[in-house]
Amino acid sequence: MMKGVLTYMHRDFIRWFRYRVGVVSVLVLPAAWLLFVGLALPVQFTGNYLDFITPGILVMTILTAGISSGSLLMFDKLLGFLNKFLAMPVPRESILVSKILFISVRGIIQITIILVLAVLIGATILNPLQYGIIYLILFLFGVFIAAFSTTVAIYLNDHDSFAAFSAMVTMPLFFTSSALMPYDVMPGWLSTIAHVNPLSFAIDAIRDVAAGNLPLLPIVVIVVLSLFVFGICRHVFRKLTV
Amino acid sequence: MASIETVGLTKNYGGLCAVDGLNIEIKDEIFGLLGPNGSGKTTTVLMLTTLISQTRGSASVCGYDTIKQPDKVRSCLSYVPQDMAIDTNLTGRENMMVFARLYGIENPKDKVDELLGIMELSDRADDLAKTYSGGMRRRLELAEALVHEPDVIFLDEPTLGLDVGARKKIWRHIYSLNRKGMTIFVTTHYMDEAEQFCDRVGIIDHGKIAALGTPSELKSQLMSDVITVSIDGEFFPVSPDGLNGILYVGNSGDEYSFTAENGREALPLIADALKSSGNRVRSMAMREPSLDDVFLQSVGKQEEEQGFEELKYRLMLRRR
Repeated sequence: MMKGVLTYMHRDFIRWFRYRVGVVSVLVLPAAWLLFVGLALPVQFTGNYLDFITPGILVMTILTAGISSGSLLMFDKLLGFLNKFLAMPVPRESILVSKILFISVRGIIQITIILVLAVLIGATILNPLQYGIIYLILFLFGVFIAAFSTTVAIYLNDHDSFAAFSAMVTMPLFFTSSALMPYDVMPGWLSTIAHVNPLSFAIDAIRDVAAGNLPLLPIVVIVVLSLFVFGICRHVFRKLTV
Repeated sequence: MASIETVGLTKNYGGLCAVDGLNIEIKDEIFGLLGPNGSGKTTTVLMLTTLISQTRGSASVCGYDTIKQPDKVRSCLSYVPQDMAIDTNLTGRENMMVFARLYGIENPKDKVDELLGIMELSDRADDLAKTYSGGMRRRLELAEALVHEPDVIFLDEPTLGLDVGARKKIWRHIYSLNRKGMTIFVTTHYMDEAEQFCDRVGIIDHGKIAALGTPSELKSQLMSDVITVSIDGEFFPVSPDGLNGILYVGNSGDEYSFTAENGREALPLIADALKSSGNRVRSMAMREPSLDDVFLQSVGKQEEEQGFEELKYRLMLRRR
């Protein structure tokens, strides 16, 4: 199982590195968000807006990274790789696990760049333990989103539908979360949506960590959520492949 | 022991029966499954390679049941789909290494070197696969399929879209693999290739086997000469009177085929019969039967793509 997962991940990493535009885009996009929104937006909700917006950008980055996990599976499916892999004695789940892990690990690389950049332009430096917990939360959240998008990709039959799906999910989810502004300055309806948005959940947990607390409950909930969605994903995958 | 055996193998997609009660037994040979598009070839291969499950019936590969022991089946077979799925941004060697690692081969590097050599790819092994020609990509896929030394290889349209030289090369490799003891199951709609290289062929139409045997056996079911007639304008069926011992085979386009024991004597008879029922004959020709004629006879009238059956199309897409 583990060997299969590592081989599939190795393949995806080589393919990613060879495709240079992909590497640059993955690294530049979150940096652009941080700079343009964090520094340029003329808002003053809180003392240090950069400290406030950074968790939002982190979670958004993991969200866009995670959504593209389904896209990877979709291409393997469309180009005939999936059929080849499924006809091998390697445990079939290792394909799923590898996609989800690859995307989460790649997300972690992006996260590191954002964190370094944020500190460079004036965000507060946290202690190593806090960074560790933030990484953990983001990794778990990445698994949650990647498993979700992979499940959708198993069901859909062409890449255009998948692109439409990911565009439809990403932006609304981001703008209705607590990423850009605190709950108390939101209009009432937005605040209601933001409170049930899974994105705000991860964002609030990270802000809590930055404030010096240990948000145990949110972490447990994210663990349960990602296990649950991964379970569904595995079930759907098994059902549709024999 | 048969390498591949199916008993009443059936697959339904909703109301559409893609494969209908297939019974075949394949030994250590090159077996060609022939049939028009949508006749159930790929569905059959997908069932045998454990990629989809059948609605009814059973299938075994290397003695293992495809439903009860899928892992055993997967370890003894290789499947090369028709899509040419290779990572073009990886080198040939890297593509191979992925497969060697997935199959858990000991000394993967040596095995990969050996197979790249066999498939005549050694000197290009470290170039990106996107610089490879169609034939090289196919050979790379064949090499990938061989890393775990399978007993059975399934090839779906292995020569589709290749030029003549590349096709010959692929078939030469397939042939030598079979001589080394591998069972080859290939689907194709190139009759000439099937006739030349397959030990036995099965012709499948609407999910059912319409003819099964060695190419020469199948050809001997036809009489010794085949007469083809090109007709201008509409075709009016001929009455069988006066055409004793002459059999109508079928048509493809405006070419109508007949078969007879003595073609030279049959020629004028056919010409007269056609004229008297109102046909305008443009030309006539006589030759020995080929697998094409067998195909025409068993599959019947070759329908041109007419009327797009959307439901059928969507059901086919959904199979994956």
